[in-house]
Amino acid sequence: MKRALAATAAIAGRELGSMFRLPVGWIVIALFAFLSGVVFVNVALTPGSPATLRYLFTTSAWLLIPIAPAVSMRLFSDETRSGTIESLRTAPVSDAQLVAGKFLGAATFLVLMLVPSLSLPLVLWLISSPAPDPGPMVSGYLGLVLVGMLYLAVGTLASALTSSQTLAFLGALMSLILVMLLATVVAERAGTTVGPWLLKLSVPRRMGEFARGLIDLRQVVFFVGVTVWLLVLATRVLEAARWR
Amino acid sequence: MIVVREISRSFGSVRAVRDVSFELPAGQIAGLLGPNGAGKSTTIRVVTGCLCPDAGDVGVAGLSMRTSPIRARRQIGYLPESAPLYPEMTPEGYLDYRGRLFGLARRTRRQAIEHVVERCGLQDMRGRRIGHLSKGYKQRTGLAAALLHDPPVLILDEPTNGLDPSQIREARSLIRELGTDRTMLLCSHILPEIERTCDRVIIMAGGTVRADGDPDELVRRAPGPDRYAVEIRTNPSARITHAVGVLMRVHGADDVRPTGRQPPDADAGWSRLTVTAVPGAADLREAIAGAAADAGLFIRELRPERPTLESLFVHLVDEARMESGEAVLGAETGAEGGVP
Repeated sequence: MKRALAATAAIAGRELGSMFRLPVGWIVIALFAFLSGVVFVNVALTPGSPATLRYLFTTSAWLLIPIAPAVSMRLFSDETRSGTIESLRTAPVSDAQLVAGKFLGAATFLVLMLVPSLSLPLVLWLISSPAPDPGPMVSGYLGLVLVGMLYLAVGTLASALTSSQTLAFLGALMSLILVMLLATVVAERAGTTVGPWLLKLSVPRRMGEFARGLIDLRQVVFFVGVTVWLLVLATRVLEAARWR
Repeated sequence: MIVVREISRSFGSVRAVRDVSFELPAGQIAGLLGPNGAGKSTTIRVVTGCLCPDAGDVGVAGLSMRTSPIRARRQIGYLPESAPLYPEMTPEGYLDYRGRLFGLARRTRRQAIEHVVERCGLQDMRGRRIGHLSKGYKQRTGLAAALLHDPPVLILDEPTNGLDPSQIREARSLIRELGTDRTMLLCSHILPEIERTCDRVIIMAGGTVRADGDPDELVRRAPGPDRYAVEIRTNPSARITHAVGVLMRVHGADDVRPTGRQPPDADAGWSRLTVTAVPGAADLREAIAGAAADAGLFIRELRPERPTLESLFVHLVDEARMESGEAVLGAETGAEGGVP
């Protein structure tokens, strides 16, 4: 068990390290810091507006739609294309460990990417009076992390399916956009039977609750559940590749 | 140490490997030979646990790849073809990562890294980016990674591919050295490579094992007639046909024909011929020399051409092609035999 955890941690550590050894990691971090800063200055820092980061969180969740696939596209595609997957498949690690390690590496990167944005609530804290309520900020960050995990899991599955990073990126991005459309445009026109079900798929609605400061266990279960389910699918894809 | 039992593997409708079985006792260095598309790589991938076979099973150090794949894989050090690595890492970082994957504790890992870095001559390169290393050093890094956890079984796929001649010599001696206390399966299509390093060869073609055994023994048992290379001088005016005529009359000679390249002093009447004996004939050297002397011709070279591993290889590959009904390309080279 200890050995299995150590191997999973090794995979996660290598993945995280590679993100910082390659330009893509730094570009993603800079891009997110810049865009969230722009949103912050334009929305939260408007004189007379309430001292809240609510819109920053909801907009950041939108930003994650292209960012998460960009982080996850390399996970398996790159290994398959370069052939390094072969030495991973012949190492004493199970496919589940492989998926878990890869996902954890990417997830850690995503959390680290959020770190620079912590300066934004700090600025708000210093300049606004009355001081902002810390509760919604904590729940907002939790929501952002959960949304990020879900999107990364979609990207992990896409990356396990193809050896092309471009396809993995586009596949994940398109799936996220498709679900988004189903849960908004289609849901509105789908009538009273299907509509509410499609609405349940809406990540921005769920994220909105976190941004308002609500931590609903059902929302947490939704995000964690779907993330795990997608990762199990990715594991099945890798297992099937041994038989294909 | 390695037991391969009737493995078969198809990709779609293509049957890449059919009923392949072999067994390697501990300490043996075996070479897996075959033309491209013979099923070598598929066999190696199944043995290392990278692919699951459609039928059959692989046992490594008594552990089944089917029932305990993780523990079985721990017994194997594997160098995949062309040693794929992460270009953004350093050899040291990569070895540390591999050590973690194989569950080596920190101290053993450090010792193991020092050991393999020294053994594979990576001391000066350990801190450089792998992407900046030469092909030879990348290959060494891959080999170091395969050796890191000190596995009882080593499987090397084309270990000398892309190396220059001096590196090939180094690699070969390293492989020999490593083979003293390990079971090794070496995959290559470079014949001298296998002949020089292996105790045993397994020749594959068309997805099946065509020959398996000690290389010298295999060559000795190889089918095909004996041949003799003869350099003989006739009267320049009588030309080569006279010499052919004389040697054709040798009892036991089946065919005599000029060899492709003639000697530089052909003007002086020297010619190079190949005499093919009828199957099962005794040694013809004496008879050839006698016939030449009787006809008043001089011989300056008379040399039996034994079948080599290469001619055996070509023969087996042609046989496999014939069976699968393909055009018999290269049959002519098979008939020439023994051409280096």
